[in-house]
Amino acid sequence: MTEILVNLGAGLVAALAPLNLGMILLGLVIGILAGALPGITMVNSIVLVLPFTYLMGIVPSLLLMIGVYCGGVFGGSITGILFNIPGDPMNVPTTWEGYRMSRAGHTRYALGLAIMSSAVGGLASALFLAFFAPPFARFALGFSSVEFFSVVVFGLASVSVLGQSSMLAALISLFAGMFLGTVGTEQQYGVERFAFGVPFLKTGVDFVTVLIGLFAIGEVLEQMVLKAAPSTAGRPATAVPRLPLLDLWPLRGPLTRGTLVGIVIGGLAGAGATVSSFVSYGLEKQFSRRPELFGTGHAPGLVASESSVNGSTGGAMIHLLTLGIPGSAATAVMLGAFLIHGIQPGPLLFTTQAAAVYTIIAGMIVANVAMIGLGFLAALCFATLMKVPAPILDTFIVVFCFLGAFALRNDMADVWLTMLFGVLGFFMRRWGLPVPPLVMGVILGPMAEGYFLTSMVSSGNDLSVFLTRPVSAVLLALSVLIVVWPLLRTARRKRMLSGQRSDGEEATP
Amino acid sequence: MTRAARVVAPLAGVALAVGLVLASRGLDEVAREGQLGPGFWPRLVLAGLGLACLLKALGDWRRGTPDPAAGAAMEPASEISRARLAAGIALIVLYVLAAPWLGFMLATTAFIAAFMALAGARSPLAITANAVAGTAILLYAFVRVVYLPLPKGEGVFETLTLAVYRALRIF
Repeated sequence: MTEILVNLGAGLVAALAPLNLGMILLGLVIGILAGALPGITMVNSIVLVLPFTYLMGIVPSLLLMIGVYCGGVFGGSITGILFNIPGDPMNVPTTWEGYRMSRAGHTRYALGLAIMSSAVGGLASALFLAFFAPPFARFALGFSSVEFFSVVVFGLASVSVLGQSSMLAALISLFAGMFLGTVGTEQQYGVERFAFGVPFLKTGVDFVTVLIGLFAIGEVLEQMVLKAAPSTAGRPATAVPRLPLLDLWPLRGPLTRGTLVGIVIGGLAGAGATVSSFVSYGLEKQFSRRPELFGTGHAPGLVASESSVNGSTGGAMIHLLTLGIPGSAATAVMLGAFLIHGIQPGPLLFTTQAAAVYTIIAGMIVANVAMIGLGFLAALCFATLMKVPAPILDTFIVVFCFLGAFALRNDMADVWLTMLFGVLGFFMRRWGLPVPPLVMGVILGPMAEGYFLTSMVSSGNDLSVFLTRPVSAVLLALSVLIVVWPLLRTARRKRMLSGQRSDGEEATP
Repeated sequence: MTRAARVVAPLAGVALAVGLVLASRGLDEVAREGQLGPGFWPRLVLAGLGLACLLKALGDWRRGTPDPAAGAAMEPASEISRARLAAGIALIVLYVLAAPWLGFMLATTAFIAAFMALAGARSPLAITANAVAGTAILLYAFVRVVYLPLPKGEGVFETLTLAVYRALRIF
């Protein structure tokens, strides 16, 4: 313990050296901006800074990337809260609550909560990385595709079903999204599925087009066509974020749970921030005494999701530093940076390159503290956009959606898909079909398929493998419970109501 | 809404799921011996979709009045302007349709002006300024800084786009 503290102290001093601190701050700025722009993902931005790391040493390179990583996972929340446009899939649960809070006039509170819970989640995960990385890596190595499949199913079940007032509508939306995720070339056999000869469908439906279309374009159309107050109805008021240090105390439960879920799921190689944000949000619904408030602008949902996203950053670094296995796409790029500089991450790294490792870990701590200030400034800049009149804002949102979709593959087909999903999103809202489960289906469906098929191959098509492994069995049992419990509750309520009615009829002479 | 009208949409969902299951025939021909083929997962998902739609149709049929809970999770179905909606969707479709032909620059300038007017902007000066300055800033940011190869248009429109690119020093 003492040795770790000494190393961490030395790392902190090194991380605060002008060059290293500059790299962290630069990375944070790049990450927050890229994360906030739909179509430019956090992973894209880490890839974009990779060539610059040739010119630097390994520590400043990694600190630059860590800055981009920490800033990137948070950046998408700002536009999600203000404009209902999540920058990355991982920011979707934050958007569900944050945008509703914003529309209810609590923009400052929502932005402040997002900044603070991100910073606390990221900070806790960096400290976890410093103190518990090696034993946790050994535990996480025991997870296989079977457990990953169950984690994804748990995420799908908990978020789609809990808190939705019509479970069937949510399930229709979820299965439709999962089906969209199967369109395109299948990964295992390379077979085209449901492309029907349309060239751009062969590469599949990119979830970013679904995300941008359903949330942003759908919302613009919704705002524009409301008869009550054209183009201004429901727009949140101008907002300067506040930093609610004390406001976090009543939300310590969701904050702690979200952070822990982020660290654990982030630490499972292959899961990552998106899965952790959905699972954390779903779990929070289960813990909540009022799950019906989720989706209406409920602060615990935002805090749980946001702390989990940044909490996953430290978890994902554990695999990279202790085993040399990248736990996510972002850490895979960082592995590239290590290899460029001739360093092989792995069990020996903590002894042979202790100074560099602890500087990187300390850099994560510095990045998460600095993110409070930079996140505040970024939110301030984006919040000033709220002063822009709605006709201008709505118009430019559509143009940015065009650019975001086109930037994916430089293909107009993605723009068409985005606009199509935008119109679909509008009508889904009108027809009573919830949008979030569809988005979840598109994002998590392909992951579930991949893990399921891998599990089947490794177990010789033995389905019992999902029940014989304890973690998987518990997660699947919980998933079933989540789906069945509301059905039983509804049936019981109906029985009680009909019982009361018949009692009343008998009592009437 | 009549009972029959209410079940049309869920039943269409069932029909779509069945149709897609039929379309997935032949996908498993490439499957290796003893392994699940590429058609297994989509069929599983489509079975779930079909079943959920069927249950929804049955529920809506048995229920005498529309399910008030179904829409509660979403936006309240407030009154909307159908004309404005149709015009908005038409403008978006025209924008995407025209972009490869007119080029991003001209299509965006026209779209910003038209969509702003539709969304309620009334000042011609504000509309023109936003359309022209907005497009120029976007071009500079995305062509010069991000190197995004935005559509330049065809024929004379391409020539015009390239001339503006040169004037803005982004080409």
